Amino acid sequence: MTSKKPVDFAKDFAELEKIVAWFEKDDVDLEEAFKKFETGLELAAGLKEYLQTVENRVTEIKKKFKGLVEE
Amino acid sequence: MHIFSVSQFIEFLNDALVTLTPRDQIAIEGEVSGFNIAQEQWVRFDLKDESGLINCFLTVWQLKQPLEDGMKIRVRGYPKVYPKYGKFSFVVQEIELAGEGSLKRAFELLKKKLAAEGLFAPERKRILPRFPKRVALITSAEAAAYTDFIRILNNRWAGVEVNLYHTAVQGASAVGEIVKAFAYFNEHAEAYDVLVLVRGGGSMEDLQAFNSEEIARAIYGCRIPVVVGVGHERDETLADYVADVRASTPSNAAERVVPSREEIFGTLNFTAEHLCERMLGRAREPLRAIEHAVYQFDHFWREVGYKMNDTIRELRGATEKIAQKIVVRRAALNERARVLQNVDPQRVLGRGYSVVYVAGRVLKDAAQVDTGGQIRVQLNNGALLGKVISKEL
Repeated sequence: MTSKKPVDFAKDFAELEKIVAWFEKDDVDLEEAFKKFETGLELAAGLKEYLQTVENRVTEIKKKFKGLVEE
Repeated sequence: MHIFSVSQFIEFLNDALVTLTPRDQIAIEGEVSGFNIAQEQWVRFDLKDESGLINCFLTVWQLKQPLEDGMKIRVRGYPKVYPKYGKFSFVVQEIELAGEGSLKRAFELLKKKLAAEGLFAPERKRILPRFPKRVALITSAEAAAYTDFIRILNNRWAGVEVNLYHTAVQGASAVGEIVKAFAYFNEHAEAYDVLVLVRGGGSMEDLQAFNSEEIARAIYGCRIPVVVGVGHERDETLADYVADVRASTPSNAAERVVPSREEIFGTLNFTAEHLCERMLGRAREPLRAIEHAVYQFDHFWREVGYKMNDTIRELRGATEKIAQKIVVRRAALNERARVLQNVDPQRVLGRGYSVVYVAGRVLKDAAQVDTGGQIRVQLNNGALLGKVISKEL
């Protein structure tokens, strides 16, 4: 996969779970199965890569923003 | 000498009293007695010790914690003489619970009240998103609770944006600051998946803010699901009870908020393997269908073969039966022919008998023919024509 769009972990994970569920169906079209299979593996790989490369970010809410709700 | 009117003097006295007792420097500690609320607005009680007593007054809106007789408290405010009755009382502006006993009692009373209102109801607890993206954090940036939370968060998971709202977590300003922080995040609720309120362990007095009604209500009214991790495992605060998720410590709060990287890694690996297996299974399906068809075809012809054999066998059986029938019939016919042969007149003639006909009919009685009548005598070979010469009857 070459696309470098930002990973939405929750969304992609849900998508992957959907694909897994799809494969449990009784009658699946082979052509479609191949497509979904590929997407599924790409998603899994993307999510793993994401977890390995991304870090958490901590920012403090500055006083001036705090002031906005203090009337 | 200065002459005052009564009300002027009271006014003068009240001014002097306020100046004499600066609110931020003086507090009075004593035991509550005669606590009562009039018209659901006016709170009165006496604050006393072994040898003294002061009437205290405040409104219900100023009453931040439950009070009852026997509680030890510290009050801040100012003394005042009421002009109309000339009665001295203390106008309470702030109450602080003093001593473990009062804190525990107030805790129990408030807990009961909030429980009755449904603030702790399990059915209103919200479920946290599995993979949060933005976390609102309320705590003191200087406290160990903050570092613990962030450390565990970083150990476990990645890609989370944490927005810290720094507040005091104990002391007089803590409640107000924390309530403001909730108001801020509530205003931006859409941007957050979860709100976390943490503080390290401490005495009941240290944790007092987390037992306040204001913070309990701030959590209750928060539009973002709230995780509270205050103190050590055994500590319980009202904030814990109202929270959607109660974490035992700040570190545990991080564990409750994000999944474990290792766990999800395992899940992803397993999912990929599972998909491969499924795909292989699906790909083998058409092959299996062909195999099945071949088997079916084969089976069909074998069946046909069996059927033909059966038919042949049946035919053979039927033919045999017919042949047998023919034999039987033939035997019967032979028998009949034999019987018939025995009665064949020709055969009788062959043994030397002869048959006499008169006018084509067999003659059996001599009276049936006249003397001189014509007769025909049939022999085995040939026939004789003659005339009757005489008869013997």
